[in-house]
Order: sequence, then structure tokens, then C-alpha cells
Amino acid sequence: MSASLLAVGALSTEFKTDQGRFRAVDEVSFSLEKGRTLGIVGESGCGKSVTALSIMGLVPSPPGYIVGGSIRFEGEELIGLTTERYQSLRGNRMGMIFQEPMTSLNPAFTVGDQIGEAIIRHEQVSQAESKRRTIELLRRVRIPSPEKRYDDYPHKLSGGMRQRAMIAMALSCSPDLLIADEPTTALDVTIQAQILELLAELRAETGMAIMLITHDLGVIAEMADEVVVMYAGRVIERAPAAALFASPQHPYTIGLMGSIPRLDLEQDRLAAIEGQVPNLVSLPKGCRFRARCPFAVAACAESDPPLIEVAAGHEAACLRAPLEVA
Amino acid sequence: MLTYIIRRILISIPTIVFVSIVVFGLQLLLPGDPALALAGEERDPQLIAELRRIYHLDQPIWRQYLIWVGNVLQGNLGESIRLKMPVGDLVTAKLPVTMQLASMAILIATCVGIPMGIVSAVKKETILDYGANVVALSGISVPSFWLGIMMILLFSVNLGWLPASGFVKPSESLSQNLKTMIMPAFVLSSVTTAIFMRHTRSAMLAVLRSDYVRTARAKGLREPRVIFRHALRNAIIPVVTLGAIQLGELMSGAVLTEQIFTIPGFGKLIVDAVFNRDYAVVQGVVLCTATGFIFLNLCADLIYFLVNPRMRG
Ligand SMILES: Nc1ncnc2c1ncn2[C@@H]1O[C@H](COP(=O)(O)OP(=O)(O)OP(=O)(O)O)[C@@H](O)[C@H]1O
Ligand SMILES: [Mg+2]
Repeated sequence: MSASLLAVGALSTEFKTDQGRFRAVDEVSFSLEKGRTLGIVGESGCGKSVTALSIMGLVPSPPGYIVGGSIRFEGEELIGLTTERYQSLRGNRMGMIFQEPMTSLNPAFTVGDQIGEAIIRHEQVSQAESKRRTIELLRRVRIPSPEKRYDDYPHKLSGGMRQRAMIAMALSCSPDLLIADEPTTALDVTIQAQILELLAELRAETGMAIMLITHDLGVIAEMADEVVVMYAGRVIERAPAAALFASPQHPYTIGLMGSIPRLDLEQDRLAAIEGQVPNLVSLPKGCRFRARCPFAVAACAESDPPLIEVAAGHEAACLRAPLEVA
Repeated sequence: MLTYIIRRILISIPTIVFVSIVVFGLQLLLPGDPALALAGEERDPQLIAELRRIYHLDQPIWRQYLIWVGNVLQGNLGESIRLKMPVGDLVTAKLPVTMQLASMAILIATCVGIPMGIVSAVKKETILDYGANVVALSGISVPSFWLGIMMILLFSVNLGWLPASGFVKPSESLSQNLKTMIMPAFVLSSVTTAIFMRHTRSAMLAVLRSDYVRTARAKGLREPRVIFRHALRNAIIPVVTLGAIQLGELMSGAVLTEQIFTIPGFGKLIVDAVFNRDYAVVQGVVLCTATGFIFLNLCADLIYFLVNPRMRG
């Protein structure tokens, strides 16, 4: 366990809103080893981004608060870390790219300026050296004519190019962990494939670990070593990617598999499972997936099932697991 | 860039023409006959006819307008009937006083309103935020004559720190000049300070929630750099534009403030001119003010253009 790059244990993050108080992330646990890719998958609103922001220490507060659990990064506990220390880790040892490439760069500064800023912040280098390294980074993320793009403002770049610039920024100080929060959701299908390919290449080159958030099992199948499936703020299944695809154990995962959106098809969110995600403010007793679950039995209404090991390294939070599915 | 500026300037021309017609038309709405006012008690019909001829009052309206525009274009704003002085001279004598007052007011509003807006956005829903909002609300709702009188009572009558009236030119004594101008400038600035504070606050709140501020934090930047470089730089754009327009507002707000503190500026000039039916002065002053407004709006657009890289294409 101590070898894990990132170990998240029973992490809970709550929001206090006018509608009430709710747990967007509820006792989430997983770990990520050096150089590996962890996929986090789940429907919209299941808490993927909030999990990522909790790790980065960037949950907007108010209204969000981490109310429990632990996040160990390279052996260091991040919850309760001093602001100063957190700031020296962010952008340095851990980088993050976001779901919205169009709005994630500051419109007032050039692309080069914004990337160089991270380098200067963490490594005391000269302006000239940061420029040289920034251009090198732009080249590495395959942005054509990087010398010219260095002086461009973000609005001159397409969505795909902006996401590349964001990747360059996140990689500027060679982090050990890259959190990619749906890095391709907002992009065209062909660009999506290019960005994923780039991430895979960069991982191979740098040996960094990637936490890849997506709602797309196709992406997971292509990229991830391990998978965490989330539902309504909880981890409901956790397994090596191969095992998950070979024998999914949670009815929700099985439902997702029935609706894998393929990269080459213009298809949106995972919507094939009948029914609605429960309201987090007033969760029903018992299993959260119960109302939508074709396998539900009376016992499912009694208590929320914990994660249990159903096979070696394969856990699912379902009373009826292991399921025999044809 | 250049084409944008040229286009923007060309667009202002019809506006100026329109303004000039309105300004000229204003005199038709003012009650009373200036020739009668000038002729004095006797009302000698011959003198009145003579005066009408000299001031082109016997011509059809459109001829009067063209004569007036022709003169204005040559820099001749006519002559004050009452003061027997060229209007141009009056304007150049009084304008700097009002400009000083307005500039000081905008300076105060900037130095107080913008930092207050930043603090209340960053410390949202804390005592600092509530305090700043109360100050801003009072700034907007307290009438300036009341504020002016209260300040005179406090600082001139009770404490005796500042003179209640009496204007001293900066060329005579700068310190004396500032002493007489600080209270009026403060009174004049109160509304603008509040407007700056409110706009800075809401712009900062929006920007602080933005994705690129989150990116700046994800880079590990320290909070002051996030706030002052990444957030403020974007939040300030609408406020700067507003500033140029507010400067125009302050010029008109100065009319009242100059009355309260008896400062011999533009405001006093126009009030006296209206009461004495001194058309040429009214027209000259209003035309200068309106042109100034248009110019400031142009500046606002250009500033917006300059500080916003997206507009530069
Ligand atoms: N700033 C916030 N204030 C209040 N509620 C929030 C905030 N951010 C997220 N939430 C809530 O937390 C829950 C989880 O949101 P999260 O953004 O993590 O979903 P997600 O899994 O990333 O979904 P998506 O696929 O749409 O990105 C949602 O119910 C959302 O409404
Ligand atoms: Mg998300």
C-alpha cells in the first residue's frame, strides 16, 4: 500500500446549498500506482469532478467541504495540508486538465505566458529559459509552429489546440500525477481520438500516472489499467480494466456496458439505463441503484451494500454479486 | 485596429450633428425673448430691431442654425450677451475648474471603489462584504446636497479644517486649491465610488468562479497572483469602460456640487446663463459638454478595444 502514488480512503465531500446539504462524494476509496492509468467512469453528476477537485484541493468553498477521509499523495496526507504546501504541489507534482478547454485558458494572456507562468512559479528559471521550455512543451503536445503559437491569445486556437495547450501547462513541471477530467468531452470525435493518443504517448514517455475521468467506457477500454465505477457519489465497482470488461459485477456497470458509446459514432452521454439518478439531497434508504436495477430484491431496500471482493482485486457494491450474467 | 478606430470616429459624426441641432433647438424652448431682455427697461422698438439684426434673430431658424454652425466650426462660439465676452474664452476659463473637480472625483472613486469591490468579492458574505455594500448603498442613496452640507457643517463649521467655499486657482496656491476642492470632489465622487464598487464586485465574483481562475489555481499560483493578475485583469475591463462614461456623468453632476460649494466652474456658468437667457453661452457650454460626452464614449470603446485581446482579432 505504501508504494501507491495516490491513495484515496473514504473520501467524503459535501455541498451546502439552498436545496439542502448533500454528499457529492461519499466514502470514495481507490489507489493509483506510479505510471499507471486509473479510469473513473460514471454518469453525469455522480461526483467524478468533485473527487478530482478534492484531490487537487480546489473544491469551491463555500459551498463545498471535504468532511472526511484521507488523500495520500506520495505518502503525504493532503487533507488539512497548509495552503502554501498545497500550492507548491499543484502544477508541480500534480497537474490537472479540465472538461472545458474553451474557457479554461485566461483570455487576457498569451498561451505562452500562461504555460511559462507555471514553470517560473515552481522552478526558479529565467524568462528566456521558461520561453524555451514552453516552446518545447508546445512542440511535444504537437501544436504546429509552436514559436508562433507562443504569442497567440487563446481565442485564436481551436478547442483541440487549447486542450493541447492545457496539457502542455499541466505537464510543464513533469508531474507524477495528471488528472484529466473528461479531457475530450467538449471536442469533435476525430480530435478526441488525437488527444487520447497524445495522452497515452506522453504517459509512456514520462512515466507519469494518469487519473482519467470519463463517462465513456470506450475510452476506459482503450486507456485504463484500473477502473473505478461511480454512482451517485459512491464507488460501486472497482477492478482491473480487463476483469471489468470480462465480467462486470454490478448491475449498473452491466447497464453501462450495454450502452458503450463508440468513439466513431456521434453518440452522447450514457443514457441507455432506464430511470433517474436519485436526488442526493434526499437519498432513499438502501441501495442507491435499486430503483433502476433489474436485479433488485427486497433486501436491497434494507441497507446500502458495501464494496465486497467478488474476485481477486475485483470489488462490487451489490448484494447480489457475484452475478452470473450471460 | 486602425480601421476600427476610423470607423468608430465616423460613427460619432452623425451623433455630433444631431447634438448640435438639439442644442440649437434648445433655445426655442426657453421662454422669453433675448432681445427684450437685452433692451432693458425702456423697450425701445428701434433698439430691439437693431439687436435682432445684430444677433440674427430676425432670420429664419434654419439660417440662424447655419450661421451658428459656421461660426462654431471656425472656433467662434459667439458672444455672451450678458458678459460681453466671447463664449470660447468663458469656456476655456471655466472648463479646467470643472475638469479638475471631475478628475479628482474619478480618482477618489477609483482609489476607493475598486479596492472596496475587490475586497467584498474576495471576502464574499463576510462582515467586510456587508460593510462595503452598506457604504455603496449610502453612496448611491444619500443626496449630494445633503452630504455636501453635512460635510461643510463637520469639517468647516465644527472642526474648521477646510474652507466651506471660495475657489483658489492651483496656479496661485496648489495646497490652498486642494483644500477647497477636496470636499466638493469627495461629495461629487460618492455615487461613482458606489457604482465602481458594485461593478467591480459583481465582475470579480463572476471571474473568480471562472474556469481560467480555477486553472490558475491548478497551476499552484499563490492567491494574490490569482486575484490580481488572473481575475482582476479580466474583471476590470467593464469597469474601465464604465469609468470613461462616469467621467461624463461627473461633469454634469458637477453642476450641483459647484452650486453647493460656490465653485466658479462650468456648472455655475451654465446655471447663470440659463437664468439670464444667455443663449450663446448655454449653447456653447452644452455643445462642449455633449461633444465631451461623445469623445469619452469613444475613449471608452477604444479602451475596451485595447484591453481586450479578443477584440483585436
Ligand atoms: N460548486 C458546486 N456547488 C454545488 N453543487 C455542486 C458543485 N459542484 C458540483 N456540485 C454537485 O455535485 C455533484 C457531483 O458533481 P460533479 O461535477 O462531480 O459530477 P461529474 O461526475 O463530474 O459529472 P459530469 O460528467 O457532468 O462532469 C452534482 O450533483 C453537482 O450538482
Ligand atoms: Mg465533471
